[in-house]
Amino acid sequence: MRADRLVRRMRWTLSIALLVTARAASGQASEGLDSATAAAIAPIVQQARAANLPVTLLYAKAREGQVQRVPVAKIEAVVRTLADRMRTANEALKPGASEQELHAAADAIKSGVGPETLRAMREAGGDGSLAVPIGVLTQLIARGVPVERASMEVVALLKKGAVAKNFIALEESVRQDVLAGRRPDESLDLRLKGIIPNLPQSANADAAGLNAGSPRRPR
Amino acid sequence: MHDINEEGDELIGRIVRELKTLPPVPADATARVLARVDAARHDEGPGRFSRRVIVSLPAAIGYAVAATLAGFLIRGAVPRQPSAPVVAQSPNAAVSQTLGTRTTLVPAAANTRALQEAPIKWQFVLDAPRAKSVTVVGDFNAWDGSKTPLERDSASGVWSALVDVHPGRHVYAFLVDGKTWTLDPNAPRTKDLDYGTQQSVLMAGMP
Repeated sequence: MRADRLVRRMRWTLSIALLVTARAASGQASEGLDSATAAAIAPIVQQARAANLPVTLLYAKAREGQVQRVPVAKIEAVVRTLADRMRTANEALKPGASEQELHAAADAIKSGVGPETLRAMREAGGDGSLAVPIGVLTQLIARGVPVERASMEVVALLKKGAVAKNFIALEESVRQDVLAGRRPDESLDLRLKGIIPNLPQSANADAAGLNAGSPRRPR
Repeated sequence: MHDINEEGDELIGRIVRELKTLPPVPADATARVLARVDAARHDEGPGRFSRRVIVSLPAAIGYAVAATLAGFLIRGAVPRQPSAPVVAQSPNAAVSQTLGTRTTLVPAAANTRALQEAPIKWQFVLDAPRAKSVTVVGDFNAWDGSKTPLERDSASGVWSALVDVHPGRHVYAFLVDGKTWTLDPNAPRTKDLDYGTQQSVLMAGMP
């Protein structure tokens, strides 16, 4: 009988230990969120995880709201919207997108960029990361360049072989022009004239024979 | 089906028949087993389930403390997921991070992208001589202020920190004294369409 009691006590101890461990693990999974926010977004996170989307972006978005003391209901709505954008971005950036690309693409969609633009960017950009080109596209739109115009020009740049440093240079030039009082779309026109001729796939480079035997995109 | 008996191997046939035969059981065996079961039931009594549940208060507290300690020991032994995305320190680390996140990524593409997405050092600076503490929160540190405190230069009162950021567009803000949302005076600003707040913007290039 004493052995029976010992076994029962061991069972109780083990059960409580498992409960405590599970509780600790779930606390860890909430990624530093308060319990109400963590509970509110848990189903969204679960669905995203099942869809193989990086849930760290969802937790970060929730924490962004928490640090600004946004109500839980609003955080939940924002995280749900982000998950939808990530699904759209993931589908558009097939066959696979990095976390940085998904992050950038979700922001771009928020700014009004359509999935067809993202698909065109993936097609034009080959295996290269689209995190910077998509980020520059978002920032051009934020500066006031119309979505369609900015999307068209960024895809065209990728087709001509533009790489991250070209996009960063373009964005910086437009920023300085806008600060100096130039209209964003005017500035984009002007600065593209300075970038395009130097790209590997541009007509001028072709005419000069610079592209003979060169790959479509620098690796 | 292969039948041993049909082959006429008498020896093997006898062995099989022997093995198929159950060992002899004493006539009173069943009665003895039932008597033991009945005796055990009688010993525990009708309220045995209740007796299992009820334990004395000091013992319960003792078990709870022991279980909690055991739980934390187990938790400590299990590898934890970092509370924010791990910032890759090298291209190889970036490869594994990317592959770990996106299982559909083609390895060659993953290599190319991971190299292009390797983090670079970005310096954040805020002139706030009267502040007691300054942290930077942004999408690069998952909006976790505790991760990135700025250090104050005692002579100038300028706060700064070097942070790993991946190439691309990032939004951020400073938290002064743990609560005051402060924009970077030297960076472009944008209105976040999700939460409606103003944020600073940085465009990080390739490493």
